[in-house]
Amino acid sequence: MAQRLAGYLSVDESAKRIRHYRYAEERMMRVMGGWIALTPELPAKLLLGRQVWDCAQHADLWGKRLPELRSRAQVSEPANDLFVRFMDLLESPEEFGQTAERLVGIYRVLKPHLLAVYEHHLAHANAVYEPPTRRILQRTIEDERRHIAAGRAILTHRLQRAGAHRRADAWQGRLEALLVEAGGVTGEGIAHLAAPEISADPDGVTGGLVELEKPVGRWPLPPDLEAAVEAHARNVERRDLAAAGEDLSPDIRAAGTELYRSLLARGPDRHEVVGVAKLGAHRLIKLRLDGPDGAVILASRWAQREGHWRVAEVEVVRIEGSNPP
Amino acid sequence: MDRPIAYDKLAREDRFMRMRARRVAELKLEQGLPPFPDLARRESIKERVHGILVGELQAMEGAGRTVYDFPDAPWEFTLDMARQVWDESRHVEIYIQLLEHLGGYAGEFPETTILWRCACAEDAAARVAGVNRGLEGLACDVFNQLIHIARKIGDPIIEHAVDFVLADEITHVRMGSKWLNELTKGDPERRKRAIEFQETIDERFNLGGLRREGDHEEVPISIATEARRLAGFTDEEIARLIKTTQRSPVY
Repeated sequence: MAQRLAGYLSVDESAKRIRHYRYAEERMMRVMGGWIALTPELPAKLLLGRQVWDCAQHADLWGKRLPELRSRAQVSEPANDLFVRFMDLLESPEEFGQTAERLVGIYRVLKPHLLAVYEHHLAHANAVYEPPTRRILQRTIEDERRHIAAGRAILTHRLQRAGAHRRADAWQGRLEALLVEAGGVTGEGIAHLAAPEISADPDGVTGGLVELEKPVGRWPLPPDLEAAVEAHARNVERRDLAAAGEDLSPDIRAAGTELYRSLLARGPDRHEVVGVAKLGAHRLIKLRLDGPDGAVILASRWAQREGHWRVAEVEVVRIEGSNPP
Repeated sequence: MDRPIAYDKLAREDRFMRMRARRVAELKLEQGLPPFPDLARRESIKERVHGILVGELQAMEGAGRTVYDFPDAPWEFTLDMARQVWDESRHVEIYIQLLEHLGGYAGEFPETTILWRCACAEDAAARVAGVNRGLEGLACDVFNQLIHIARKIGDPIIEHAVDFVLADEITHVRMGSKWLNELTKGDPERRKRAIEFQETIDERFNLGGLRREGDHEEVPISIATEARRLAGFTDEEIARLIKTTQRSPVY
């Protein structure tokens, strides 16, 4: 009978452990919230948006448990400086092209680690006097499993680009090495933790998100405009500056031709229409021009002038190197 | 990450076309079109729904930034903002589906970023005043009218979905009112600046007189007096808003 009362952590140790959990949950929640605006892809953006509130609730539940353990409410405390450095590194990918790194950090490293720690804690927490902590662990474990499954489904889709796997694996390796050095969220080492089993998106919740990235298919362009855009892109690919200039409306021809001169120097040899928007009778068209040195994304407004579609405004939206970050 | 980030770091897939609101309005006027889509035709309803979609997207991004940008704000404030992120993410999904329901697609119309610029205010109190009270108040007006139009044209899909979104927006305005008071307690100067910021946003989104008091079918954007009362706006505030709509500068 006495064995049923055997303890795992003392009250003070429990409180300290919970402050460490809260640090990880709170900081992760803030980072995910901050990343939403920096992440271009809708599925990843919405994935982060869906989960910020759950992470905030985890931090809140841990924070509310603290005064029940003779500790101050809602206090976050990292286990050590190395864990802070680990979180700093996890937070660092904020460039446009670093969505994969962001997702890898959360869904392949931090959340799986937290899940493993929580499962270990639950397996050892006393069932007679620690049910309040066990309840929170059960809730967070359930949420983390769901989050990881959803995150990995989105990440798998994201990593279909050539070379993306290698980059993601390298980033994961860097983060994991630092996490090991820190001794994990508790600072007590991670060697004893069993790798958690994650089923593949059991509720199928990410299906709808991945769907959001599906191409529109055929862009809704009038046939004469589609032909004009195609001819214009071919002029650019042939590096025919004079012909490309003729596609521009006379009032922007001089400035536009200069812009095209710099574009042509990059040697674009492929093109793709990546966006079409309506503005009354005008059409805003985004072209991706790929070449050996990377890609240029060009936005132009097309309007009819004397019976012909002409580029009435044009600007470079973004230039990508051949090895994006 | 910087706190706050530069407003031009807002990241979008290539299918979205970003353009200054003023430029969009100019180009529409040049073509003899109203600067803001009315609700008279299915095509213009679709354009209005697209505008709401990108607004919800920016609202989600703005609330996410608020969670990140103010680590020293009261914890309950962060919790409310985190909840708002989740709400806005649902709204984005709802409006993407409503857009498809109307035969449209995300990126079909240009995206303006006035809302996002407002969400980049450096003071948390100004941000909740401007976004939660100014912009979410505007959302109450727009959604209330959209529900009415949907009911009129017999579209229960739009009517029901938007009604749930409106319920959330009312909650967000209440959060804004609560945190405007809490964050500026004992600091009347800060409160004054936050309210002035909200008023500049109210003025800007009066859209040169497009938003005003009146019947849903008579005015481009009708002020949702009842929804605003439910959200915690005082009668005095509503009266002041109506008054400002009568003297807005041309958009």
